[in-house]
Amino acid sequence: MIMGQPWILLLLLLLAISPPSHSSTVHNNNWAVLVCTSRFWFNYRHMANTLSLYRTVKRLGIPDERIILMLADDMACNARNSYPAQVFNNENHMLNLYGDNVEVDYRGYEVTVENFLRVLTGRHETAVPRSKRLLSDEGSHILVYMTGHGGDEFLKFQDNEELQSHDLADAVKQMKEKHRFKELLIMVDTCQAATLFSQLQSPGVLAIGSSKKGENSYSHHLDSDIGVSVVDRFTYYTLAFFEKLNMYSNASLSSLFNSYDSHLLMSTASYREDLYGRPLSEVPVTNFFGSVMKTFHTDFAYTGFSMESEPHISLVSETNSRRILESENAQTEAANDNAKDNCPFHAWLKVLEDKLDNENAEKLVLYGLGSMVLLLAISTLLSV
Amino acid sequence: MPAEKDEAKEPRARPRLIVLIASFLVSHSTLFSVVCCIAGLIALLLLPVLAKSTYISENALMPGSANPVFSGQDVSEASRLVKDITETQKMGKMTGIEIQRLIIQRMADVGAEVYHHKFHSQSNQFHPFRFFSCDSNSAVTESNSNTSYGLNTVGIIRAPRGDGKEAIVLVTPYNSEYVKLNDALSLGLGFSIFSHLGRVSWLAKDILWLAADSRYGEYSSVSAWLKDYHNPVFFSSENVDANVTHDKDFLNMQNKNMLNGRNVDVFKRAGTMAAALVFKVGEVMERDPRDILTIYAEASNGQMPNLDLINVVHYLAVHRQGFRVNIGKLASLVNSAWLNLVGQILEWLGKLAKNLNPKWNFGISSADYAEGAATVASSMYHQALGVPTGSHGAFRDYQVDAITFSFSPRFYLNNENMQSSFILRGGRLIEGVIRSVNNLLEKFHQSFFLYMMTAPNKFVSVGVYMIGFALLALPLPVVAASLFLNHKATGFTGTEEAKIAFGSWKWLYAAKTVLMIDLWAMFASLMPYFISQIPNITSTESTFLWVALSVTILAVLYVILGSPPYSHSGNVEWQTLKAVMIASVTIGLGLMSIINFATAQIGALLIVPMCLVVRPLKKHIQGALILRALSLVCNLVMVVIGFPPAALLLMKGFSKGFEGVGIGAVWEVAEFLWAWNSATYLYVFLVHLPCWVLCIHILLHP
Repeated sequence: MIMGQPWILLLLLLLAISPPSHSSTVHNNNWAVLVCTSRFWFNYRHMANTLSLYRTVKRLGIPDERIILMLADDMACNARNSYPAQVFNNENHMLNLYGDNVEVDYRGYEVTVENFLRVLTGRHETAVPRSKRLLSDEGSHILVYMTGHGGDEFLKFQDNEELQSHDLADAVKQMKEKHRFKELLIMVDTCQAATLFSQLQSPGVLAIGSSKKGENSYSHHLDSDIGVSVVDRFTYYTLAFFEKLNMYSNASLSSLFNSYDSHLLMSTASYREDLYGRPLSEVPVTNFFGSVMKTFHTDFAYTGFSMESEPHISLVSETNSRRILESENAQTEAANDNAKDNCPFHAWLKVLEDKLDNENAEKLVLYGLGSMVLLLAISTLLSV
Repeated sequence: MPAEKDEAKEPRARPRLIVLIASFLVSHSTLFSVVCCIAGLIALLLLPVLAKSTYISENALMPGSANPVFSGQDVSEASRLVKDITETQKMGKMTGIEIQRLIIQRMADVGAEVYHHKFHSQSNQFHPFRFFSCDSNSAVTESNSNTSYGLNTVGIIRAPRGDGKEAIVLVTPYNSEYVKLNDALSLGLGFSIFSHLGRVSWLAKDILWLAADSRYGEYSSVSAWLKDYHNPVFFSSENVDANVTHDKDFLNMQNKNMLNGRNVDVFKRAGTMAAALVFKVGEVMERDPRDILTIYAEASNGQMPNLDLINVVHYLAVHRQGFRVNIGKLASLVNSAWLNLVGQILEWLGKLAKNLNPKWNFGISSADYAEGAATVASSMYHQALGVPTGSHGAFRDYQVDAITFSFSPRFYLNNENMQSSFILRGGRLIEGVIRSVNNLLEKFHQSFFLYMMTAPNKFVSVGVYMIGFALLALPLPVVAASLFLNHKATGFTGTEEAKIAFGSWKWLYAAKTVLMIDLWAMFASLMPYFISQIPNITSTESTFLWVALSVTILAVLYVILGSPPYSHSGNVEWQTLKAVMIASVTIGLGLMSIINFATAQIGALLIVPMCLVVRPLKKHIQGALILRALSLVCNLVMVVIGFPPAALLLMKGFSKGFEGVGIGAVWEVAEFLWAWNSATYLYVFLVHLPCWVLCIHILLHP
């Protein structure tokens, strides 16, 4: 018991010294929320956009259980599709986006503003299965990709409701409060996309849209076999960028953002980084589009990175109730000490007091006077 | 007018603004009506200038986004059928259903569901109490007395992955008694498209192909089929017997009509119709550098299909398949001198405006103007007539958007190569239209239903073309009010009496006259029913009989309901009568503008000036001799033009020459109108004719 005390004190000190904010929490998982908001056959390209991005983030390492895929319609099974059960994003038909292992979490009429906001904020009804929830934590990097038809500060869902920029900002704020993300990248491919994230206020959020206010986003090309446009320009060039990368590439976000050519896009891709702390050139794209993160070597198998001390206390406390009291006492002492230590002036004064107590006081005073005379002589010499 | 001044001077609480404006307009009614009428005419003349270019409004349509895959193989399919039809024709032993057999065999080979649809030709009868109503019940009972049958052939391709709730209809009318080359070609074209669609994988709607036996007219075969499609009849056994025993040939045919073990006499249906395309190969137009596609869209009572359908066909025909698209225009108007003059004035005005401000760009060349005016006149005329311009009209009765287009090749199609290239392009056009309509998710609803075309790619929408009508109709209530108040003021002296006059019920006499004339008009409009029952009567005799009977009834009514009420107090009463007449005309025109706008528009052109100008011949207006003479001439001219038969004969005379025009034409046109259940007939007899009679009434006022 007595042996345990200093160990607890040490832990408590460690806890007290680490700052209360979570910014130091290490990025330790990745999530993606991919949303296609529009239905109907002529919006084929929006579903193709979303599925292409789904395929990309999966290829770059985000596992299926950490991707929430929302598709408002089922183009693959549409009677008008001349390639039944297949979805293409290019007229060369090389890549079927709707092949094996596509796990759609929300489909058809489930894709609503309500469900989207519930996914972001995590306020689900109890019956909603885990696979349909965004189970992120304060160490998560989340990619939110949305495509559909939008306008000034709204995004149309299913032809009958809209997500407004205020709604989105509010949801992101709630996520921040609930420590549901460490960093968030919002990527929007609609007309006037930049207006959708104009209301955001939460730190750690980065946003990019396909077009500025007053601009339209255009489709890239028409597939004359299927008879519809199959991909949008912004998404097409995003995919073109990622096709060159693999899981271990070091391309930065700024290289992605600078790869958009407004002539090819026929709109101006604009991003918002004022809420985002880190310089974009130092952030690899795989921080959001993949699942690659720094690996830490720890000596102990079960000591966490930062905040893992509290559970240990509770574990101990279960075995012995007396130790709780002791530890609480120690905690208050440590807290007092800590308050003194925190101020540099107090600390220096304390050092001085200690010295005065321990050593020869007269000697100290003499040395002090001598040094003052010396200082006076030097200063007069300099002023002359 | 002095009455208003008196009223205005009275010290009162400030009346509301709208009342002030109304009283101002009423007091200046003459000037107001002249200005409005002229403005209305100008607004009508400006329609070609105000036309907008058409655009495809529905996102889902996406015409031309898919490449047509109708190929040479399909063309050879068509040629084979054409050859077979001509050979069958040459064999000579026609029992009347060889062609149908051939077609149905081919369709069954493609794998479609097929059936024969037997229908009875219906001669058009006048049923006065069946206007606007679909007489589905009577058809069965009456048809037994009719011995003439037609036989449609119908094939259905089910969409492989569709839900079977919607269908697109293709119609090729042909005369089964003698199939000419162009009929054979349109059958070949129809079949090749049908067989092609049997192989595609993108169908979301079922495809129905109706090879309509048009030996009794294109319209009747299609409308008979549509009626059976929409009104399932559950035959009792005796009904079938009656039908079968009626015609031995058909009995034999029915026994034979088992194809691949299935009965082909069972009526089969697909879903609701999303759109219908009627197409046929027409006559050769040699002088044009390009093949021509003529679009007919007007259905009964001025109803039009959704503009998007026309746009899709136009877009694909012009921009993909290189056709030249025509829509009907009054050819005589294009070269008319006065229209060109108006065009030149507008052209000059446009240039002037452009000089003043380069942004004002409403200039239009005079040739364009004349072309546009002729087209919009034709559009308005066909809508006003209320008679469909082709078998697509039958679809509109079931709220299905449909158009007819006829291909006019530039070469004679005996040449094999010409024929195949022509079929290839026609087939690709129709495939493109079907693919576009197939993309639809709902009925056509995005674009306009109320419009007039001024060119194949230009239209005037309802918001623009109703300005002219509104301006023409606006003076009517104002003048009526003014006349009513005037009569009060002149009938009594002083304001006290004028107040009393408001409570007077003297206008009831005038109303009685108006109602009496309306009653007469109703009798006159029912007369043709009885006249048409008389056998062996020529149209001229019918006309005279009709006129004689009508005049007799008018005289009888006068005797029964008393002579005109203007015998006692001279000047006052004709004004009241005119006021009431104008009020009733306003109501009539307003109602008609809802039922068939074009009719109301043309009617207003004739009737409004007549109503406004008319005054008794014996009451001279105070003023110069010229004014008096002008008033007299105006009255007489208006009354002549305002008489519907006279207007009709004049129009016929001007367009086709006066030699061939006889009185009988009146009967023929009337017969034509009621046979097609046109609301124009009702308008002419219940609004226009009574108004004319009342004008005569006022004109002859002592």
